[in-house]
Amino acid sequence: MITVEKLNNFGANTAEGLARCFGNEALYLKLVATIPNEANFGKLKDAIEGKNLKDAFEAAHALKGVLGNLSLTPIYTPIVEITELLRSNTDMDYKSLLGTILEKKDELSRLCAD
Amino acid sequence: MKKLRQNSGIKRRVLIVDDELVNREILGNILSTVYEVEYADNGKIALDMLSRTGAAYSLVLLDLLMPVMDGFEFLKKRETNDKLKRIPVIVMTSEKESEVRSLELGAADFIKKPYDMPEVVIARCNRIVELFEDKNLIRHTERDQVSELYTKDYFFEYIRQIELWGNDISRDALVFDIDQFHLINEFCGRPFGDLMLSKIGKALQKELPAMNAIACRANADTFYVFATHQDDYSKLQATLRSVITDVFKMNNVRIRYGLWENVSRDVEIEAWFDRAKTACNLNRGDFTKSFAVYNNELHARHVFEETLIRDLPDAIEHKDLKVFYQPKYNIAGNEPRLTSAEALVRWIHPKLGFINPGDFIPLFESNGLIQKVDNFVWNEVAVQIRKWKDTYGFAIPVSVNVSRIDILDPKLESKLEGLLEENKLSPNEYMLEITESAYSENMTRLIEIVENLRKKGFRIEMDDFGAGYSSLNMITTLPIDILKIDMSFVRNMEKSERDQKLVELVVDIAKFLNVPTVAEGVETQSQLDTLKKMGCEIIQGYYFSKPVPPADFVPFIEKELERRKVGK
Repeated sequence: MITVEKLNNFGANTAEGLARCFGNEALYLKLVATIPNEANFGKLKDAIEGKNLKDAFEAAHALKGVLGNLSLTPIYTPIVEITELLRSNTDMDYKSLLGTILEKKDELSRLCAD
Repeated sequence: MKKLRQNSGIKRRVLIVDDELVNREILGNILSTVYEVEYADNGKIALDMLSRTGAAYSLVLLDLLMPVMDGFEFLKKRETNDKLKRIPVIVMTSEKESEVRSLELGAADFIKKPYDMPEVVIARCNRIVELFEDKNLIRHTERDQVSELYTKDYFFEYIRQIELWGNDISRDALVFDIDQFHLINEFCGRPFGDLMLSKIGKALQKELPAMNAIACRANADTFYVFATHQDDYSKLQATLRSVITDVFKMNNVRIRYGLWENVSRDVEIEAWFDRAKTACNLNRGDFTKSFAVYNNELHARHVFEETLIRDLPDAIEHKDLKVFYQPKYNIAGNEPRLTSAEALVRWIHPKLGFINPGDFIPLFESNGLIQKVDNFVWNEVAVQIRKWKDTYGFAIPVSVNVSRIDILDPKLESKLEGLLEENKLSPNEYMLEITESAYSENMTRLIEIVENLRKKGFRIEMDDFGAGYSSLNMITTLPIDILKIDMSFVRNMEKSERDQKLVELVVDIAKFLNVPTVAEGVETQSQLDTLKKMGCEIIQGYYFSKPVPPADFVPFIEKELERRKVGK
């Protein structure tokens, strides 16, 4: 089960995230716990692998909004980076950046599952 | 207003449109402290929810990238629907470009993602809700229900706003009204009249953008237009004319226009339209004209009239108003005998000099101030009769004019009685002249009042007889003591057989009613002879004397006194 402490250790800005939830810890943690199942991670991965930058942008953009609102900084930061690159249609190898994102997401998944 | 809103206890409903659960829940959690919150996954569901009958939402919070129907598509659809347009939309976005695009598509504001602190989000939402409620309130009160044009107050307020930024642009004040509109209401019914005003309002509305103008229905059938200066208003005239002729099939209804071109910023906004209205009123009664422009001549007239209105109280207080007396002679015997006089008011203005009664009497009759003039004259006359009576031992009865408006004064009788009492006069020494047209206007009321006055001993002269529209039947039932033939007939009777016949007819009517006739405006011996032959007994006019001040009237009294002494 995820806790504020675990999230702090993970590097999330929980003070900000909780403030955004009006201090409602239960709501904040409930919403954080939905992230491991967030379908846009899968969409982002598939689209990048299939070199479909438009779909990849849409998935990254959606994730950026959600992760930003929860202040999950370790995933949010690379997501902001990839979103901007995809927005400008930058022709590059996204694998490493995608790897960081998925790695951090998996880390959060483990924290939630523990 | 704000207090009422806060204390009303009503929880307004907002709709959050976002496909992301996390965003929906966070925002919902924030807004549910103030609002009742509902959710939609995409633009299409949101549109369906907002369009439901009876649905009432105060605000929509809209995500832009969504499946099925995205935020931009939603905004475009909203713009085409009047009901939806009244619900404000705040867009949630993290993109700069999207901010501009959504504002252009009608969004009221935007909230950045990640969201600001909850207090900021709530404050922003509250502000927009308040703004739109005010806007909707204004929308409901700024328009006149019948014509759908602005109401007068908003019209003037918008002009003030326009003038704030463009008072160097030449602009026109245009006023128009529908001639005899009250008759349309009377004959065709009020709903018909309202329909006509509504159609005119709509037709006018269509013409406004081309003239860069705004308009209001100022009252009843009077419309005001504030436009960038136009050289020609004929297109507007043609459009409005066609409403009357094509839609209502009425060819005898006339729209009258008054224009003040290139309004002067030295004058109050309300006065721009007063001036245009002055021009508009000039068309009254002249069916060959329907468009009048306020010009220097009119301006001079307007200023002159305003001066007279302003100075009247002083004129009364300082006695710049003078009462002149014109003798009336009985010519039944061999020698004419002074029987009475008519009191006529004159104004010697300290700056403007002698003011023609034709300039101020009709003006004061039209605005009701004539009552003040009449009351002044009545008092002066009562005092003067008393003075002469004391000096010469007999009274010269004097007739005074009673205007239409005096007749409606509930204190009329008590005023007149008070004057007689104060000056110890009897009512037969004080005669009242009422014009024939006043009789035909408000006959029942007038007859009642006149009968009361006669019961108290006053003698009533019907003035200007023949110029009005009395029916023969009416004349025979009227309570009068003397008929006074309209001056114009007497003046023309030697030139026009018709006028002579009319004078004869009036004299015959008077004989039938068994009352004497007075002929006014008699200037020559031959006029006098003709009238005498007809049987007219009393003569007034320049033949004997013009109206003169009291001192100059004395010789007439003294002569009459002499005759009485020698027993003639």
